Amino acid sequence: MTTTETARVRTAQPSAAAPRLEETRRRRRRHRPEPFTVASYVGVVAFGLICLIPFWMVVAGSLTDESVLSQSGYSFWPDPFSLDAYTTIFAGSRVWLSYGATIFITIVGTAIAVTATSGIAWVIARGLPWLSKPLAVFAYIPMLFTGGLVPMYILITQVLQLRNSWFAVILPLVVAPFLVFVQVSFFRGTPQEILDAARIDGAGELRIFFQIVLPLSKPVIAVIALFYAVTFWNEWFHALLFISEPAKYPLQLVLQNLITSVANAADLGTVSAAPVYQMRLAMTVITIGPILLAYPFAQRYFVKGLTLGATKG
Amino acid sequence: MTTDLGTASENLATADTARRTRDRGSRRTWRGRDYGLVILAAPAVVLLLVFAYGPMAGLVVAFQDFNVADGVFGSPWAGLENFEFFFTSGNAGRIMWNTLFLNVLFLAATLGAGILLALMLNEIRGRVTKRFFQSVIFVPYFVSPIVVSIFLQAFLAGPGGRGGLVNDLLSMFTLPEPSWYTTPGPWPWILTVVKVWQLGGYMSVIFLAAITAIPEEVYEAGVIDGASRAQMALRITTPLLKPTAAILLVLGVGRIFYGDFGTIYAIIGDNGTLFATTDVIDTYVFRALRTFGDFGTTAAIGLFQSVVGFVLVVIATLVQRRYARETSIL
Repeated sequence: MTTTETARVRTAQPSAAAPRLEETRRRRRRHRPEPFTVASYVGVVAFGLICLIPFWMVVAGSLTDESVLSQSGYSFWPDPFSLDAYTTIFAGSRVWLSYGATIFITIVGTAIAVTATSGIAWVIARGLPWLSKPLAVFAYIPMLFTGGLVPMYILITQVLQLRNSWFAVILPLVVAPFLVFVQVSFFRGTPQEILDAARIDGAGELRIFFQIVLPLSKPVIAVIALFYAVTFWNEWFHALLFISEPAKYPLQLVLQNLITSVANAADLGTVSAAPVYQMRLAMTVITIGPILLAYPFAQRYFVKGLTLGATKG
Repeated sequence: MTTDLGTASENLATADTARRTRDRGSRRTWRGRDYGLVILAAPAVVLLLVFAYGPMAGLVVAFQDFNVADGVFGSPWAGLENFEFFFTSGNAGRIMWNTLFLNVLFLAATLGAGILLALMLNEIRGRVTKRFFQSVIFVPYFVSPIVVSIFLQAFLAGPGGRGGLVNDLLSMFTLPEPSWYTTPGPWPWILTVVKVWQLGGYMSVIFLAAITAIPEEVYEAGVIDGASRAQMALRITTPLLKPTAAILLVLGVGRIFYGDFGTIYAIIGDNGTLFATTDVIDTYVFRALRTFGDFGTTAAIGLFQSVVGFVLVVIATLVQRRYARETSIL
């Protein structure tokens, strides 16, 4: 029992960081790994698998022939293999329209959000008593107290007349107070000497911000841009409330419609006998695909953002 | 969730950092060239005014007999009728209880899972391996509630109404196979498992950052005293995670009266058989607005929710500060 567990610990080691590995090996040879360490490896690997299995099930299901899928359910391996769902979905125009909607919401939303958030964050970070403190309070109150669903609904549909506009999805979410404060805590680390030098050279506030502060802040801008982008990509609540024209549905709303009614799947493709269950899974894969593809490159920024937000207290 | 995190930590930080940075500008007041700063802050200020403060002002609807034709300014006043209607409707008790119960479950489970996962991740040697596992368990945080709902159906419902993977497993052991989507009883626990799956990794990232900040000497002292890894995790690391846990707890308590609309509505939707255990304030409000178009009552519930939430977060912050001072760990 113990030997197999030790073997698992060994195999979990990566080949990189060779000197460190040598060192740990030597240490291992002297003491056997403690039970808690072994249990931790087992626990982390198990939780990791639990995190990934649903993704795999859905990918496998989306590639399994509809007849088998509805007969014997999900399996770990697509058999018989079938691309029917994907060909049906991509033959219709709906998926392209909703991809376009999601991409528009994500790109335009993130651009507005990063601009607005960086601007107010820098002014708060400047530390001017007459401006920064009141602005910090102003940005903090919405975290404590919200108007809720109904006033927002009246505002968007009656006052601003944004029904069926993608901006109804974008605008309520463009200033996330949490991200404002993440950025403030980063901006506060901007070296004072550089700012003073620029001021002596006669640079105005705008010039300082755009030519000095922003170029120095690329890492934090990447962090908040990614957080906003994921929020907009996954956004469906405001879309559900305010967008009723099917041609303007973002991906998440199309997917939600597939859950509530299998019949909606038929609208997606062109053929009448659509593989509906398979299509639901294929649509899921299509929806999460870009996030999963970008994740390996982006994940360290998310960790950095959380760490900035959590430990600066 | 993202937006919740900074509240208390930043709250604590502002007082301190503001003091530090205030003298930078040497207490000066408005100067002509500061107009640049006003331009920089303007977009966010306008957006917050319209989309955060606007709806707060819109809460007057709670005291009106609102109708679309007359609008916010023309609708007749109704006093406290809307509140009365809600509290005497017979639904109030059930949905408030569900909201509180589910949130307490979610909060306890995700915090516990986050600490446990962080302690376990901390045992993993090798920076690359550790980062790899951290990335893997952080993935579920990035999928939308809709996608989570589809994942859950694979496990509990399966295509075409046949049982999902869980029932396949149960049938192997010839255990009874419940029809999950028509049995309200287990749903609070199912939703808790879903929340742990989605947020466990996220929480562990926060706790692991706090563990990394613990000075190495503490553990060296532990090693000298002959402590095992388990003892060090339990007796050294866990107590030192209290401040971080306290901050997250305060944030969670502040949100305890807000139902998790995204997750619950995406999973339960309009499945009335499950409402007994899963209908929370936010899903109730949403349905009331959608089906009855009852603006007044739903706004009244929203106002009630905001006020209770605000009071709770203030109390929680005060308690936490006092506790932090007494134990002098923050």
